[in-house]
Amino acid sequence: MTRRAPVVWRTATVRGVVAESHHARTLVLDVPEWPGHRAGQHVDLRLTAEDGYQAQRSYSIASAPELDALEITVELIDDGEVSPYLVEEVRPGDQFEVRGPIGGHFTWSVPDGGPLLLIGGGSGLVPLMSMLRHRAARRSEVETRLLVSARGAEDALHSDELASLEPSAGLHVAWTFTRTPPPGWTGWARRVDAAMLAELGPGPDAGARSFVCGPTPFVERVAELLVEAGHDPRAIHAERFGPTGG
Amino acid sequence: MTDLHTDGNGVAGLLEEILAVEVTTMVRKCQSCGDRQPIAAHRAYRGAGVVLRCPSCGDVAVRIGVHAEAVTVEWRGTYAIAQTGSGSP
Repeated sequence: MTRRAPVVWRTATVRGVVAESHHARTLVLDVPEWPGHRAGQHVDLRLTAEDGYQAQRSYSIASAPELDALEITVELIDDGEVSPYLVEEVRPGDQFEVRGPIGGHFTWSVPDGGPLLLIGGGSGLVPLMSMLRHRAARRSEVETRLLVSARGAEDALHSDELASLEPSAGLHVAWTFTRTPPPGWTGWARRVDAAMLAELGPGPDAGARSFVCGPTPFVERVAELLVEAGHDPRAIHAERFGPTGG
Repeated sequence: MTDLHTDGNGVAGLLEEILAVEVTTMVRKCQSCGDRQPIAAHRAYRGAGVVLRCPSCGDVAVRIGVHAEAVTVEWRGTYAIAQTGSGSP
């Protein structure tokens, strides 16, 4: 096994903030001596109040390893303890602590190959964006299919960027809207099901690496559908985030 | 779904702080059902600490206690653990 230096807390400084939707934004961070990451990894983030009270959450890294900044995309969770500060209050120059990168199971790099099947529910798209940005930065043409399930158009993160990435050889991006599809939408407008996955492909015989991220019930349903369709359970990588008080 | 579990990915930072090793790709063999699953695939239940449960049989796999001065890890219900690629547990 590979022992490495213990993950340490580092001070992150907010370089910029980018609004992604009415309730999500991306924080662009400078983290001195950041050791680099693999697409799909996450960071732990720690806020410390003036009285010493600390709150800690995990956030997927959104940026490609090739970028010279660390980006996280945070979605507001109503009544959350940490996300309201990150989504509504943080300004450039503000500081907090991060440690990482963390994780190895839910990661992908170009040399790992494909085909890739990426399925994200809501902000479960974030670690998949890191993979797609990494793929683009390396000009990879690995066959990749992305399915994003969002409640409505206003919840759809990174849709413009995904549209700009899609002409890349081998990349197919699909959306399904589960509550309020955009006006004139003729695509999928239902929860992910077996017929949708069959139409999306690739089929179970293609030997795809699947990455599924989202709320726990979403991930468990999609992973079960993939197994029932005949995909190798060992090639299905799942990451669940629950209502953890955000 | 009534239970609010996540998975082993979310406790990787906590375990790495103690063990100085990436844990999500480690394969654990369950003492109850004998199944082999990566730590990432285990269900994580948070309370005062964190309990990881086998995704196959639901039995307790790892208990992590977070205290003021220390973090304790009890590998209850774990028959063996090995890094992927270094042989099967």
